Amino acid sequence: MDIIESKTWVEWVITIAKFGFCFVPVLYILLLIPMERRGAGFMQDRQGPNRSYIKVPFFGKVRLFGYVQNMCDGTKLFFKEMFAPKGSKKFLYYVAPAIPFAIVFLSPCVIPWFGPMVFEWGDKVVRIAGPILDSEVGILLLFGFSSLSAYGAVLAGLSSRSKYSYLGSLRTTAMTISYEVCQGLSMMGLLVLAGSFSLTDIVSWQEHHVWGIVAQPVAFFCFLIATIAETGRAPFDVAEGEPELVAGYHTEYGAMQFGLFYMGEYSHICISSLLVATLFLGGYSVPFVTTETIQTHMGGSLAILCWVLAFFALAFLHMIYRYSRKLRASAQANKMEILQEYKLYKGVAWIATLVLIGAGVASWLYYNPEYSMVNGVVVNSLGAALGTALIHLLVLLVKSVFFCWVWIWVRWTLPRFRYDHIMHLGWKIILNIAILNLVVTAVVAKLMGGN
Amino acid sequence: MLALIYFIILAVVAVGAALCVFLSKHPLYGGLSLVLTMLSLAGIYGLLGSPFIGVVQIMVYAGAIMMLLVFVISVLNAAKDNKTPMFDGVSLFVIIGVLALAGLVGFALVLSPMGFDASTLRGSVEMTSSNLFNTAQDGPGYFVLFEVLGLLLLSSMGAAVLMAKKRLGSEIVEDNSDNKEEK
Repeated sequence: MDIIESKTWVEWVITIAKFGFCFVPVLYILLLIPMERRGAGFMQDRQGPNRSYIKVPFFGKVRLFGYVQNMCDGTKLFFKEMFAPKGSKKFLYYVAPAIPFAIVFLSPCVIPWFGPMVFEWGDKVVRIAGPILDSEVGILLLFGFSSLSAYGAVLAGLSSRSKYSYLGSLRTTAMTISYEVCQGLSMMGLLVLAGSFSLTDIVSWQEHHVWGIVAQPVAFFCFLIATIAETGRAPFDVAEGEPELVAGYHTEYGAMQFGLFYMGEYSHICISSLLVATLFLGGYSVPFVTTETIQTHMGGSLAILCWVLAFFALAFLHMIYRYSRKLRASAQANKMEILQEYKLYKGVAWIATLVLIGAGVASWLYYNPEYSMVNGVVVNSLGAALGTALIHLLVLLVKSVFFCWVWIWVRWTLPRFRYDHIMHLGWKIILNIAILNLVVTAVVAKLMGGN
Repeated sequence: MLALIYFIILAVVAVGAALCVFLSKHPLYGGLSLVLTMLSLAGIYGLLGSPFIGVVQIMVYAGAIMMLLVFVISVLNAAKDNKTPMFDGVSLFVIIGVLALAGLVGFALVLSPMGFDASTLRGSVEMTSSNLFNTAQDGPGYFVLFEVLGLLLLSSMGAAVLMAKKRLGSEIVEDNSDNKEEK
């Protein structure tokens, strides 16, 4: 039992609470599906699905900007019948959709969600690392998991005994392997600069030097393209290209089995965007401000965070008021209903704004925790450490949501590549650029006297 | 204690999956059990204090090589769905060979018991790189072997491409001429 006694109870609570981050990709699915569908509508100058509603006593039909549609789709998928086509390999057929979805819970383990928390507890200085698993091979582990998740698509295609699925899975195999090479080589330059495989070290290098996108712009674009290809979405979705292969490897799947593939794809986007944000956009680090500054001015930082959130709430209010004005002037038949619905959003947003501004002022005036410096690291109380972690987490989430939007943006903007074009792009263009970038980076780093 | 429990779980999975490779009737299931063996071996490497080698095992063997193997099995076999017999004339020699090898390895392991301690690092990133690329005059000189291996792999890849090209060459020429006629 000396394992339990090796840490104080606060350490144990935070260490176990960190496992909650495993569910972040699943929460991202809830965000991404409406974002994708309404985003597609935005790109194509239409509304997108926003008609489903929940009836609420005073406010009438509340549609939550299309989120209700999401719940309806989920419910439909849950209650459909699961079946396997005749002649399929039953075991593999049922296991295949679970593989990418299971990998999703493992991948967030190595992403640093916040900077190392250092605080005083009793008379001990406690240090808690950002990722769930602070491993020195962090990023390699992530790549290993992502290569394993391709087995889901491959086995689905092989086991469902349909020629379309089979072709789809063959294409997935080829594409995964070729783009994994590009992905790995294009980020190697950054690893050479940071001198570590650990994502925590990479982020802290970016915090103290420059962001990866500035140091390695070529690598950033190679990595982004390879990662989009790795998630298997348009313009790289030859594995499930509708015009040729019906739906590719998941042609034979219905109900929640299809749903698992669907959710696996969206969580893969989440993981990939978190990875891009961590590698090239400084991860959890706040732009132009070091972690030390945040920790020494805790109250002010929290106040600024609250005010930024309040600004977002005000922007939302502005949007709602503009919509209402337009709606009142229009001759739409159901405009009274929609205006009634908007009253709910207005109320919630006003309350949120006032609370956030109040909280900001309060933390500015009354929250100035003490801190001390130990070996150049700021050590402060538990509350201040948690506040820093919260700011870091929110910054990382904002960056990754931006990249999620890039994924949707690319999908609905570019036409699909042909299969041989994808192979050409991967092996003859991106791979060569990535290798060249690596060689140049290594030479420059050696000349500049790095590691 | 905890490491021992993990080791027993991983070892049972590894040996069981390896047996499945041997006993499974369809080569696809054999390949998948081999993936499972690779994964649990990676776990054992991690327990032995060399996470780098474990992760490389996952990335290279389970992720890339076994993926290609499954690809090949599916291209060659999935359409026919054939069942290979478990034993034939050759497997007699194979079984004897495997048993002899297992005996030898077991004997060697019993003679030199490895201290099972996850806290000692045996193959961290730093240790591996500083050992492998130690270019000092009196160093172990592994980096020469590393470069030679790279050359060997490159030449084998070149040979494979050449062989594939020779077989496909005539068809490609025909395809080109067809395209020209259409244009």
